[in-house]
Amino acid sequence: MFAVKAKKSQAKLRQSVKGKQMRFFEAQGVDELVSICMTLAQELWVVKERLASVEAAAAKKGVILGQEIESFAFSPEQRAMVDEEKKQFIERVFFTLREQAESLETKPTAEPDGPKVP
Amino acid sequence: MTENVDHDLKVDYSRDEMARQHFVSGMRTYVLNNLSGGMRTVYNKKVEPNFKKKNKRVPKTAPEIHKALKDETIFKFYSSMRCNTQEMVWRSVIPGIERQAEDLSAKTKVLAQSTQKANGTLTLDPKLAIPRYTADLDVHLMPGNYHEEHIPDDVSQGAIFDNGLSVFAMGFLGPRMDDITQSVSTYFTKRYPDFKPKAILDMGCTLGHSTLPWKQRYPNAEVTGIDVGAPSVRYAHGRAQSYGVSANFAQKDAEHTAYPDESFDVIYSCMFLHEVPKKNIRNIFKEAYRMLKPGGVMLHYELPPNKMLSAYDSFYLDWDSFYNKEPFYKAFRDSDPQEECTAAGFKKNKYFQYVAPSLNFYGESAIIKAIADAKANTEGENHMGRLVDGVQWFTFGAWK
Repeated sequence: MFAVKAKKSQAKLRQSVKGKQMRFFEAQGVDELVSICMTLAQELWVVKERLASVEAAAAKKGVILGQEIESFAFSPEQRAMVDEEKKQFIERVFFTLREQAESLETKPTAEPDGPKVP
Repeated sequence: MTENVDHDLKVDYSRDEMARQHFVSGMRTYVLNNLSGGMRTVYNKKVEPNFKKKNKRVPKTAPEIHKALKDETIFKFYSSMRCNTQEMVWRSVIPGIERQAEDLSAKTKVLAQSTQKANGTLTLDPKLAIPRYTADLDVHLMPGNYHEEHIPDDVSQGAIFDNGLSVFAMGFLGPRMDDITQSVSTYFTKRYPDFKPKAILDMGCTLGHSTLPWKQRYPNAEVTGIDVGAPSVRYAHGRAQSYGVSANFAQKDAEHTAYPDESFDVIYSCMFLHEVPKKNIRNIFKEAYRMLKPGGVMLHYELPPNKMLSAYDSFYLDWDSFYNKEPFYKAFRDSDPQEECTAAGFKKNKYFQYVAPSLNFYGESAIIKAIADAKANTEGENHMGRLVDGVQWFTFGAWK
């Protein structure tokens, strides 16, 4: 089940930044796509971290209970493993950007041309 | 709760909300290490050689580098993802604070009234005009800034900055996010062991993380933090009370505090000036000079001036001024701290600057060594250390 904390407060806090929004790409919508991809990656990470805690909790107790998962905390060793996985996960999702830099360092001196694109 | 927010005003987050925060910290590491490293490679291997071919020289200034890099795809992704990560920092902490806003406010009131652990004072000024540089923008993309109020006796914006700073800092600011002040104040007390201040003022104190270490260094001194944001000083006071540190907090504008002449021995700020326009900084320095006792000291721990960095490092640091809603940051970094101090009335030969190694990363011995190195240096007080090596904090100031 989804663990949603009840809102008892009357407060309405703003999440959007006021004023001009920063835009970097010429083509319309690309900045928004970046934002969506990042949030998608974040939500996927949430699932992965939750799943990791399910597995760890299950291994520890042999049972899976919503409340048990909610209050579960990784040991320092497990936390280190999860952090390492998170680092690799981020690097995987955004690999295309690393490639841009690396391709300049590994650029072959004479790469054979393929057939001409019609 | 958010990591490193371990006092009584900590927020109850769900596991998924905590995972969202962990992701943002991880994403920041990726953007600031991997992506920034990639951008540097593209600059070295492509942008600089192309510029050299066209202009028969390499770029000499930060704006030249900025202009040459800004059309590169990697710059666009770095920039877009840094902005997004920054916004995600705040969005990862706001829902829990919104949910518990009344509860946090009530807890703060209890802490403020309790004298069990500490007895600092809180002074609010509901009539205080919020300066335009704070009122008109969400500084570093933080919705609501330091001052917006959503409910009566609100502390939300203080809580947003505290929890957000923890996600942002990823542990590198130490367990209470006070490494800058811990490092700089340790350096100061070791460098001037005979100086015993009685009254200390922290200007632009926000959540009070920069205020408390001075009380710990000088337990007999009266230590006060001021900020224009009511939610910030309320929160700072509650946080200090929870940690058992008797510090005073007041809602005041550093440009005109109404404190008497010659009432403080130390007046300082922590990462405050770069968010303030130059003309207001000048007023703040004049106000500090007025409030300082003769023999007192003004000091500011800040981003290093552009003239002390390479063109690329200047471009890299100035990025925030263009894209992170910190519009006054570049003008501050372009200015000469010594000139600004003398313009406020401080004597030129009373100016000093130093670089304090991080206490959290390198320990007290590194700070003692830095002091010895600074004393041995022929430039005396103006020893700069190697700014771009590791975690170090630039500080400048002047004695009255």
